[in-house]
Amino acid sequence: MPGALDGVRVLEVGDLVSAAYATKLLADLGADVVKIESHRGDLARGRGPFPGNIPHHETSGLFLYLNANKRGVTLDLTQPRGQAALAGLAAGADLLVHNVHPTLMAAHGLDYDRLSAANPRLVMTSIAPFGLSGPHATYRGPEVVTWSAGGVAALNGQTGEPDLPPLKAFGDQSGFQAALNAAVGSLGALFARLASGRGEHVEVSAQESVAAILELTFEFWPYTGLVASRLGRKPIQPLCFVECRDGWIFICAVEEHQWQKFVDLMGNPEWAGLEVFENRLARGANFDALEPFLQEWCRDRSVQELYEEGQRRRIPFAPVSTMGDLIASPHLRARGFFATLAHPVAGPVTMPGAPYHLSATPWQLRTPAPTLGQHTTEVLTEAGIEPAAGAA
Amino acid sequence: MTRRAPLEGIRVADFTWVWAGPFCTLQLAHLGAEVIRVETATRLCVTRLLPPYPDMQAGTNRSGYFNQYNQGKKSITLDLKRPEAVEVARRLCAASDVVAENFAAGVMDRAGLGYETLRQLRPNLIMIALSGYGATGPDSDKVSYGPAQVPLSGMSSVTGYRGFPPMHVGISYGDPTGGLHGAVAVLAALLHRARTGKGQYIDLSQWETSIAVLPDALIEHTMNGTVPPRDGNRDRHYAPHGIFRAAGHDRWIAVAVEDDAAWGRLAALLGRPELGTDPRYATLTARKQHEDELEALLTSWTSEHSPEEATATLQAAGIAAFTVATNRDVAEDPHLRERGFFVELPHPEVGSRQHIGIPWRMSASDCRVRHPAPCLGADTDAVLREVCGYTPAEIDALRAAQALA
Repeated sequence: MPGALDGVRVLEVGDLVSAAYATKLLADLGADVVKIESHRGDLARGRGPFPGNIPHHETSGLFLYLNANKRGVTLDLTQPRGQAALAGLAAGADLLVHNVHPTLMAAHGLDYDRLSAANPRLVMTSIAPFGLSGPHATYRGPEVVTWSAGGVAALNGQTGEPDLPPLKAFGDQSGFQAALNAAVGSLGALFARLASGRGEHVEVSAQESVAAILELTFEFWPYTGLVASRLGRKPIQPLCFVECRDGWIFICAVEEHQWQKFVDLMGNPEWAGLEVFENRLARGANFDALEPFLQEWCRDRSVQELYEEGQRRRIPFAPVSTMGDLIASPHLRARGFFATLAHPVAGPVTMPGAPYHLSATPWQLRTPAPTLGQHTTEVLTEAGIEPAAGAA
Repeated sequence: MTRRAPLEGIRVADFTWVWAGPFCTLQLAHLGAEVIRVETATRLCVTRLLPPYPDMQAGTNRSGYFNQYNQGKKSITLDLKRPEAVEVARRLCAASDVVAENFAAGVMDRAGLGYETLRQLRPNLIMIALSGYGATGPDSDKVSYGPAQVPLSGMSSVTGYRGFPPMHVGISYGDPTGGLHGAVAVLAALLHRARTGKGQYIDLSQWETSIAVLPDALIEHTMNGTVPPRDGNRDRHYAPHGIFRAAGHDRWIAVAVEDDAAWGRLAALLGRPELGTDPRYATLTARKQHEDELEALLTSWTSEHSPEEATATLQAAGIAAFTVATNRDVAEDPHLRERGFFVELPHPEVGSRQHIGIPWRMSASDCRVRHPAPCLGADTDAVLREVCGYTPAEIDALRAAQALA
């Protein structure tokens, strides 16, 4: 089957998540992605998880996931020889995606004006924690920093626990959000090129990528002058985690029809008729009284039983899935979601698979992530560049 | 040179609602597609019914939530329970390049607007369905809700304070993550269509796009049978790393010491330069073992400074840090303002208010928020006339039949 992006030639210069996930999205739809690493390798090679918890630069699960379907080249971009090789590769590329910090771009040969003079059709996408311009452009910004700067961290905490800090989500979520925006901007630029014949420079800010997903909270300031707080009581309930005998369930029954069916599921207990629970706002205001009833009712039941019983009544309960639950899910299995890819050093690795199904041009895993410098000679020779340019 | 929008001439019939679908089509509107939201007054988009409203006065066109995520789109109203309205929708789809929807699986088919029907009318159509569970599989008829996606995805099981229950992440994270993945898929399909002339159907499951951003947790399980413990804001690869109390009421700062050299600089800044080379702290492994002490030491400094002041000092020393920004802090962030990130366009019912703009910039293309979010049905007549080819008399008849409610 063809890929939607067959024939699109992409270069990536990236550490960790943002640039690598942006180009993974393209590679999995058919693009030919060449990943350029320094001789020390992408930092993701040091992140793990590692088989048997033994660190090894070829077996990091995060790296293997983010870089499948790519070819790997090592270049020292701080040296003229490496920069010349990068320029040579960029001369034949459609897109270059990188997340080299703005303060280091020029020193790594990442100069859009020069690269585009040699190849006017080139699209270059620069991902930076705070963007390429403005007073904070030189700031450093790993995940916890940009997640906080974009405003999502401040929204998450434990009601009634003001001494617990705002809580970030698991993983490098700023990196994934910046990656998704970079992929959208890059594909937009490639589409624009169909008409214009010219490439352009796309710039992505991780902070802005996070600020773009504040749901309804951002507008509380410009619309009402209210500052959102992680400590606020939820205005409507139940929308809460409750412990069952074998795990946790997320009880979600805020709409009146959902609540009525939930009450029915609980066997119409007398307490549910109390005035303090008469509507979702009352249930929010009196959640301290409501929660113990829910805890009592869930305690001896199983997560799966509640999930199915709720869903049968069209109440959108959800299990608090563990990683094991996901792997065992008959639904995800039936959809063929998980993919297993054999890697020459790490062996078979099972990872998340297709995030979408395109009927004519399916998402595909073709090759495992490259070992460090695996394709240096092949890729440089193809481009007519002396392979010695890739030497350390 | 006049700037041209990347998706100029691309029309999207947008049947989505709430957040995931509208967030997908928002990206297409940013890129210049003509996005036409198909709404109905008989069942308003959930976000029109949610605050914030200016002066706390509710109103169909006054919600900041709706107005944020529907910038640059048009709105028409069709009551798809009426056959005349379904015919209008079919004509709209036939005149569109992309159809987007995020109803529960099967709803569009039952409305007579399924892909197999629509592709007869428009053979090169690209159609995307964004649903909670996906269009196939044993759970495909389950009901999905934004906030429930976070626990379902596995995110909650690995997010939380040490020793506390699973936690949420503060937003319905599966929605924007699904929406952005959807935009990527649609753009790739548009490029494929430009090359081959062929359209296609895209089935997106928000559950799956949410797992796609949890690879490290999932693969730890598949590799080793273990899972990352809920550990607050700590990180296995940085220390100190977290969110620390700053001076002021409930004010906080995020700090990440990225390597040993950064630790040396931080130790100097804390007035304890000798700790930079102290074997208890000099390496990541050592710092992870003494993280409680380090956090206490760092907090004793951060709690004496406003987060803005501490950010400036730390960043000047090359240490990653930033204020844990509230919605107000984001709105007033001088850097974001200087970059022109915010959009304030005059809206007929809420006036000119600050909205979030586009997280990427394009040097040559015309990429911007073109107009504020539409009032309900503002474009019904114009779209029916110009896009669907109805005469004014036919539009009157449709309205009399209550098809345009």
